[in-house]
Amino acid sequence: MSSQVYPKDKEILPGLQIEKVDDRIMTLNVGPQHPGSGHMRIIIKVDGDYIVHTDPDPGYVHRGEEKMAEYRNYITNIPHLERPVIHDSCNILYPYCLGVEELLGLEVPERAKYLRVIAAELNRCVYIEYWLAIYGIFLGHSTMFMWPVGDRELLIDLLDKMTGARVTHAYFVPGGVRNDVPPNFEDVCLRQVNYFEKRLKEYADVFYDNPILISRTKDTGILSREDAIKLGTTGSVLRASGVDFDIRKKEPYDVYEEMDFQTNVLKEGDSYARSKIPWLDMFESCRIIRDALKKMPKSGSVRVKLKPKPKGGDTEVYRRVESGRGSLGMHIVSRGMPQPYRLKISVPSFRNLIAMPHLLTGEKLGNMPAVYWSLNYWPVEADR
Amino acid sequence: MGTASGIIKALNSGVKHIATKRFTFRYPEQKLKFVGDGYQYDPNSGVGIAGYKGRHILFHDKCTGCQLCAIACEDIAEAIAMPKVEEEWKHNKKAIMPQIDYGKCVFCGLCVDACPFYALYMTNDYELSSFTKEALIYTPAQLQVKPKVDQDVEIQIDEKGANHG
Repeated sequence: MSSQVYPKDKEILPGLQIEKVDDRIMTLNVGPQHPGSGHMRIIIKVDGDYIVHTDPDPGYVHRGEEKMAEYRNYITNIPHLERPVIHDSCNILYPYCLGVEELLGLEVPERAKYLRVIAAELNRCVYIEYWLAIYGIFLGHSTMFMWPVGDRELLIDLLDKMTGARVTHAYFVPGGVRNDVPPNFEDVCLRQVNYFEKRLKEYADVFYDNPILISRTKDTGILSREDAIKLGTTGSVLRASGVDFDIRKKEPYDVYEEMDFQTNVLKEGDSYARSKIPWLDMFESCRIIRDALKKMPKSGSVRVKLKPKPKGGDTEVYRRVESGRGSLGMHIVSRGMPQPYRLKISVPSFRNLIAMPHLLTGEKLGNMPAVYWSLNYWPVEADR
Repeated sequence: MGTASGIIKALNSGVKHIATKRFTFRYPEQKLKFVGDGYQYDPNSGVGIAGYKGRHILFHDKCTGCQLCAIACEDIAEAIAMPKVEEEWKHNKKAIMPQIDYGKCVFCGLCVDACPFYALYMTNDYELSSFTKEALIYTPAQLQVKPKVDQDVEIQIDEKGANHG
């Protein structure tokens, strides 16, 4: 981009940069008010119908979660840390709880580990259903908006029974979970998850095998295996490009190594593959939930008692988990105080956003929503 | 698969749902049923009891005015204040009790976890809207009232599909 600083003696604001305008190129601001952009702006330069330059501009919903965490103790950090992704709130608290448990040397009860896995998998499905609904409406497929939002209710109902809240659960705590599940939860959970899986299969006919969707998304925004690794993408984006990487398999936490599931990998690396991987992941989540319900100890403690303001040692920990979007890590630095000295959240959304300029350049403008939302990107999480 | 047959298949999968009962329910007339009477906490075992995290209920005969709930909320929402009450209790010398501002409360329930005297629980009541901000501040006297909840609808699953009864 050619730009020049205007001479200071001319009457113009100091430091104002003026960009040379090319008659062929038009600049479009997608967002931040546009519903198709999320809470962010995408500056797109088009030559006719083709995108020649993309500049994603996140940061509109930056809330300083990391700084806030330095002024709150390890328990009162819980409600605000789940705010970046309220639909995936169990998975964003997971690495925090694992890290704080390591700091404080807590041993989590066996039943709590299984309950955490169930809650995390239910939450992953809730997130993916919401993401899929938006993907549907982005592509003008309003049935695919209604169905996932409706079916999501089955899982929200389960999480509601389990945790007491529909979205921001605040269920995970360092040392276990807040409460045990209500009686006969296992039966209700099994019934609703089985029905949910049956509904998922119906998505194939209406959406994934639909020739209109295939013609919209196939061969758009192709990310090769090498580029996916080089750009540092994670989660479904990485797995759609043919890299078998899932934290649940590679670095199993809690009881994931005992669970019976597989990772889904597609080789194409286009928008279609990226939109299909989360859907396939939901089948695996259903498998994990069923397996966890079967293997879970029938009774026992779910939480270890903590002192009011627990203090960590002079150490630091880094733990990561597989969230609905990919690897989500937290780096907690402790200096022997009740609060963390520093908390750094490594979010998958931001890592997937880096691939966006790479994918959109050279695409038609009409393909922008299909490529953008297939990156499994959640703007609020990227801004923290 | 051909384009035409694919489109017909997609249409057909949607058309099947015309005959089935709808999944949604009529909200103000029907209300979703929750488990139990709301989120509770047992300080002896240190574990909560599953339930919906709605508006709080305060038991005046158990509250000692220790302010632990307000301290727990301090870093989270600053929703709890401790005003004076016109009551005389032997266990509450200072005569102060929590007053909750639902304009600020995030319904995390950590105040319930902080209470060691079984005095503060949560209920199934979630309909707290009001026309003024002041009306969202619930005084100890208002928090004492047990909410009337008429919640009867549950998800039912049969071979045709799921509905809310």
